[in-house]
Amino acid sequence: MKKNLTIYISGLYSGTNPQPGVGIARSLRQGFPDAELVGVEYSNRCSGIHWQDFDDIWLQRPWNELDLDLHAREIRSRLDHGAFWISSIDLEIMWLAEIFPDGHPNLLTPNKRALAAVAKPAIPAHTGLPVSIPEFVTTNVSDWDLHAFCRKYDWKVWLKGPYYEAIRTPNWSDLCRWRSVLSSAWATETLSLQAHVTGYEESFMLCAYRGELLDCVHMKKRDLTELGKTWAGDALPVEPSILNSLRKTIRKLKWTGGAEFEMVRDAEDELWLLEVNPRFPAWVHGSTITGRNLPAILVEEATGHSALHLPAESGQFTRVVLEVPVREEFPLSPLAEPYGGGIGHSMKHPSGLIEFAQKLHDRNTPNSESNGHRIPMPEISDDIPDSYLDDLQNIDLRNVQTPASLFFPNTARKMFANAALIGQVETEDLKITHAYSIKTNPDERLLRLALESGFLAEAISPLEARKATECGFDAGRIVLNGPAKWWRRDELPTGEFHAIFCDSVEELGDVAAQLDSGELRAQTIGIRVRTPNIVSRFGIPIDSPELFETLINSIRKLPRSIPFGIHFHMASSNIGVRQWRHLFKSMLRWCGSIEAFSGRVVETLDIGGGWDPEDIRRDNGSEYADLLKLIPQSLSGVTEVIAEPGKAIAQPTMALAMSVLEIRKYLGGSCEAVMDGSIAELPMHFFHPHRIVAKNEVSKEWRELKRGNSTLLGRLCMEHDIVARDVELPEDVKAGDVFVFCDAGAYDRSMSYVFGCG
Amino acid sequence: MYLDAGREITETAVEHVTISAAPKEVFEQWKEWRPAQISHHGRICCEYVREWVGNTDFSALNGGKLEAGPRWIRQRFEWGPGKYPIYWCEILKRSKLDCGVHATLAHEAFTRRGIKAFRTQLVQEFSPCATAQWRSGCDKNDTAPTWIGDDVIYHEGCSVVGSGGRLKLWDSSAGWWIDPNTVTGYGSLRAVRIVATHAETFQWGNHLLQTNEWTSL
Repeated sequence: MKKNLTIYISGLYSGTNPQPGVGIARSLRQGFPDAELVGVEYSNRCSGIHWQDFDDIWLQRPWNELDLDLHAREIRSRLDHGAFWISSIDLEIMWLAEIFPDGHPNLLTPNKRALAAVAKPAIPAHTGLPVSIPEFVTTNVSDWDLHAFCRKYDWKVWLKGPYYEAIRTPNWSDLCRWRSVLSSAWATETLSLQAHVTGYEESFMLCAYRGELLDCVHMKKRDLTELGKTWAGDALPVEPSILNSLRKTIRKLKWTGGAEFEMVRDAEDELWLLEVNPRFPAWVHGSTITGRNLPAILVEEATGHSALHLPAESGQFTRVVLEVPVREEFPLSPLAEPYGGGIGHSMKHPSGLIEFAQKLHDRNTPNSESNGHRIPMPEISDDIPDSYLDDLQNIDLRNVQTPASLFFPNTARKMFANAALIGQVETEDLKITHAYSIKTNPDERLLRLALESGFLAEAISPLEARKATECGFDAGRIVLNGPAKWWRRDELPTGEFHAIFCDSVEELGDVAAQLDSGELRAQTIGIRVRTPNIVSRFGIPIDSPELFETLINSIRKLPRSIPFGIHFHMASSNIGVRQWRHLFKSMLRWCGSIEAFSGRVVETLDIGGGWDPEDIRRDNGSEYADLLKLIPQSLSGVTEVIAEPGKAIAQPTMALAMSVLEIRKYLGGSCEAVMDGSIAELPMHFFHPHRIVAKNEVSKEWRELKRGNSTLLGRLCMEHDIVARDVELPEDVKAGDVFVFCDAGAYDRSMSYVFGCG
Repeated sequence: MYLDAGREITETAVEHVTISAAPKEVFEQWKEWRPAQISHHGRICCEYVREWVGNTDFSALNGGKLEAGPRWIRQRFEWGPGKYPIYWCEILKRSKLDCGVHATLAHEAFTRRGIKAFRTQLVQEFSPCATAQWRSGCDKNDTAPTWIGDDVIYHEGCSVVGSGGRLKLWDSSAGWWIDPNTVTGYGSLRAVRIVATHAETFQWGNHLLQTNEWTSL
């Protein structure tokens, strides 16, 4: 038999993120003891080449060195002479599909059309299967939209490479950094960002030949490596209904070879399809142990040779680490020298797969309108808001000394007007009042607009309260909040404050005493509750029954003549919209409990959101209004809701103008522009994107800088002073040109600092 | 895993079974046991804690789905054999809580979320080596080892009825859903009883479970 059946198996990497070649060889050796198994590898560093089940190893030079045409001819020759080929390398499978567009009877890998149908993240072939695809966008969309996507999914998102790699990016800074790394590694701007699904990981592994599903196994992971790879699992039969759907899908795709459908099952039992691997998975031999030898079944069907089928040894499998002897003909290579002063032996992927991806990429000019798999992606948002452009037209930048903060009066008026419309759920019993958080931007123009728009002023210090009174607010329209509201008390205006929210039980006791003595007056006395289960340093903690009881006892001591209120605050832009929504519902429960135990009716609820302006704008605040409608159901005594949109109002109202000091051009087309602005004037650069516009001198139009390969360097002698990465500079850019960084009206303004100015 | 030792009916039943040389069923020695309870003083001291558990559970969902297991309970309250009666206001004063208390807390969490849940009694297989260790732990902590057999133990969890009427079994002391296919070997589930106010039948994996009836798996 050995002379009659030769099977080439590629992909023998056996590290912590292994390829399935060794597992396939073990399964085929069990099914075809006399077959000749030839391992194919592209690096002698892949330890799988030493695995004992291989009769021979066909070692190639790494992909980056390989003459692909010659390699293709050699593979074709072997197939034509009767050998079979099972590939375990996604990129090799894609390449083979190009070399053999109509397939080859002995090539046991899927065809080009089938591969396109399972391309991630959209996986068009999922239609008809009882699975959903987690929502995703490609990184071709604007930074503005990427940030919105991350907020929508609570920053629980994965940045995925076009072929391999998925990296958790829990904040904007990480996302920018990894986008740059992956884009460079895979030589593409088209990565994808996909929402995380919480649940248990499962897979369907199958084998098919010319569109006929031969067998299928359902694997539930029981143990995982640190990289989330299978370490142990249950191998189960596939439910008949799912099997039927898979059979139809495979037939439609005319699939040949192995495949793995990687999924997550959520708490409600819904299956989410993450990826379809066009090959057997690395745990393939785990299935063989449980009585389903899919590689042997595939080869049996393709060759007509009968395989030896052994009974199941177990219904489950697990892995161990084994040492094996090194083949004499492939002695181990030395370790690379550590880089000067470096730690560890930093090495590239041994087989040059990344370089191979780049080669493939070069051969297939990508469509910039697609997600890398020629599937057009929807655009999410508008361009620069019209009000920004209106405001910019009214600013004569020739008279502005940069870096300069620009006030957008039209935009500001619009923001306050729109905010007043948010949460239109007022009833006779419930009044919605908005409060302007002075700390977001204490600019007098904004404070006066807040006053004109009927807002309260929320102050975190007596100095802020004094600023509010200077802008026309009387004490009755000031809300005192924060942990240090009595710092420099002598600056505190006199009068009866609208509300005072205490940050600790200690403060609550002091304030209660002062209210009793008449030393302090307030229309409402309340507490700020620390957000449970979300890390915060603010407010009174309730994360143990004892703390909860202490809080209740303190509330009971408050003067009953003054209405009671509760405040909570968490930036939805940081924790995400969905999580904030849950926090809100959770806080309503806690407030209900506080009310019940303290015997004090909650009459005022102060909600701080830290929303991104876009999250409010997109649905005209309807989602927010829906949440407010829940309040009377939980807290029937609430008569006033104080809503603090925070930076949602201030952020769009200002921009920062910077001038180009110098342009540095490099080979390959990338540029660096040294700006006269810096992170000192734009401190939120690390936390959210800023839309950058430049005026076209010919058309006189303001245009947004698109993504490109240039970097805007701040003027400071600080390594991290980079105010924008991956932007495309205007073709005619020159020193003296002005770029305007929009969306800089909130903490960029209030937290900016003087640096490097002597 | 130790529970109800303070209650007369349980002690009697256990003593009766200990003298039995060969139990017919794996659950025999615990078949008269009722699920553990956290007692309530009928005062605010206990109500604080109970309310806190419900609210904390909802907060800990963190935007996740209501049917997710309340894993925070085990993370917050380490497992260890305990004594009964135990009151709500005491649970945070104990350094460790047993499976009966864990299961009661999980049941409280699920039902407050609006999910149909049942207290569930379990018999799990381990090994003589493991049971000897637990017995020794009980001796040191002065707690009764009545939940420990030769190579099996009495355990408690919580059954929940999820979407589509599907039954799932939550091991609140482990923080995972019990696998219906693992019915032999170390750590496997050998018998189960769902405790309910009225008779109902549920499919759990390949097993048909009648409420209030012990089922050997």
